[in-house]
Amino acid sequence: MILTSSIYLTFLVILLFLYYIFPKKMQWLLLLLFSFIFIAFSTSDVKAYLYILYTVLVSYVGSNIIGDAKNEKQKKRIQSITVILLFIQLVFLKYLNFVGSSSINFINLFGVNLSWTNLSIIAPIGVTFYTLIAIGYVIDVGRGVSKPQLNILKHALYVLYFPQLTSGPFTRYMDMEKTLYSKHKFEFKNVCFGFQRIIWGFFKKLVISERMAIMVNTVFDNYSEFPGIYIVIATIAFAIQLYTDFSGCMDIVIGSSETLGVTLPENFDTPYFSKSISEYWRRWHITLGTWFKDYFFYPILKSNIFQNLQSKLKKVFGKKWGKKLTTYCGMFILWFTVGLWHGGATKYIIGSGLLHWFYIVSGEVLEPVFNKIVKILHINKENFLFKFWQIVRTFILVCIGDLFFRSTSTADAINMIKSLGVNNYTEIFKGALLNLGLDFKDLAIAISGILLLLTISLLKQKYKIREEIKEKNIGYRYAIWISLIVFVLIFGYYGTGYDAASFIYQNF
Amino acid sequence: MELEDIFEGLNEVFRDVFDDEDITVNASTTSEDIEDWDSLEHINLIVAVEKKFGMKFSMGEVTTMKNVGEMAEIIKSRI
Repeated sequence: MILTSSIYLTFLVILLFLYYIFPKKMQWLLLLLFSFIFIAFSTSDVKAYLYILYTVLVSYVGSNIIGDAKNEKQKKRIQSITVILLFIQLVFLKYLNFVGSSSINFINLFGVNLSWTNLSIIAPIGVTFYTLIAIGYVIDVGRGVSKPQLNILKHALYVLYFPQLTSGPFTRYMDMEKTLYSKHKFEFKNVCFGFQRIIWGFFKKLVISERMAIMVNTVFDNYSEFPGIYIVIATIAFAIQLYTDFSGCMDIVIGSSETLGVTLPENFDTPYFSKSISEYWRRWHITLGTWFKDYFFYPILKSNIFQNLQSKLKKVFGKKWGKKLTTYCGMFILWFTVGLWHGGATKYIIGSGLLHWFYIVSGEVLEPVFNKIVKILHINKENFLFKFWQIVRTFILVCIGDLFFRSTSTADAINMIKSLGVNNYTEIFKGALLNLGLDFKDLAIAISGILLLLTISLLKQKYKIREEIKEKNIGYRYAIWISLIVFVLIFGYYGTGYDAASFIYQNF
Repeated sequence: MELEDIFEGLNEVFRDVFDDEDITVNASTTSEDIEDWDSLEHINLIVAVEKKFGMKFSMGEVTTMKNVGEMAEIIKSRI
């Protein structure tokens, strides 16, 4: 079920109506039922139900056996087995072709001539999201942070709760259990604020993202015909598309959950205002970062292997660099895995993974040099222009990663970067923007939308927008929200024979 | 060991790990209060605290500790 479709809105309104007249004790059961309906609308392959059932059953049984374990050793063993069982399915569904073809390519390096035929496996929607949520839960039970849920239906609701099912955010059971199963009274503010957030998500997705997609597809699908300035425009357009698509999706997800009185964690904090790549990852896909930090990065760094490595490196390179080099090794594994999580292809491993590792590490290593340059040039680091430069620099670095992410393959991405050398940059003054599939009207709407988004994002740094609007008089309030709805209805990009486009991150 | 002594020991570890002699921690100190205390330094800090007090934190504690006060309480319960 696509979140920007009328079917989804109808689904949500029916659920809300039933939810608030239903006996409060049973509300969670209704959420589970509607989560099943949501899955049924999103899945055409019967096998997908079996995959989903497998995740629910394995995490339920595993977590409960961990709960009954007699000692820590037994607990750890069952935790590892359960995590492996969940992980194996994820590899099978999402990475089998990547692992298979990469292994065959590796073997062929030794003079063997084998080939790999890609298998057609239809993975359930959002499998990488709900599997990681289930794995996080099992680990938390193993660590004693959460108690296992004894009721299998309540457990199934946590894993399959429909708003977070397809694209996250990644939640922690210890936070969710406080609201997911509790009784919720109808509160006008929750429903009102929730729908306001949903409309804002529709705005980002339908007014901006869908238009950017036209420009992006035009260039990325025929990049040899669009060198130089067009690559720059399309890459910036993709950065905007990706943000408005994913954060718009999160607005709809978090807003939907807000109408039900269930609070989900935020996933974005105006990431393109970041002044460094490290800061960017604290503001972009926040819950993915937290998940990898808690369940992957920290255990690696604290492992005996890494502690021994650190001791050895300290002896050779001294205390400071021994520590740093160990952390960089851990970060390499982390970023490789983050890239791989985005998809089984080298373009993801580079664009969403190792390139960012390189940025962060080189930024740290070269920091003394940068500081020296700043000192020599007498630059005031608190100066607005300097901060602005840091934001622009970070955005450009992110865009290079995005170029890999969106391109068809790593080779294509490299060819596109090479074609930046074609000197056609003055075409920007000769209507280059109008050569990319959008007419003047659509381009004007897209740019107005981006400017509105930028203004709201700047205001968000100081104010809580919805709270501020709530304090205004009724006429003013309604004028704002009705204008936004009308704006989305009239200027939303629906394409010919509108079939709501899916969200980029739902495919991961 | 009294909490006061634990905080004294923690001050030494924090000053050493973050290379800043001016750091003084209390129960409500969090990573927000110390500039270099980010996710990259967190484990280095944890391991240094473990060595100082001869105890171990569980991974659950490592990921859920909210402030230095909670850290000190865990240390007190282990030594």
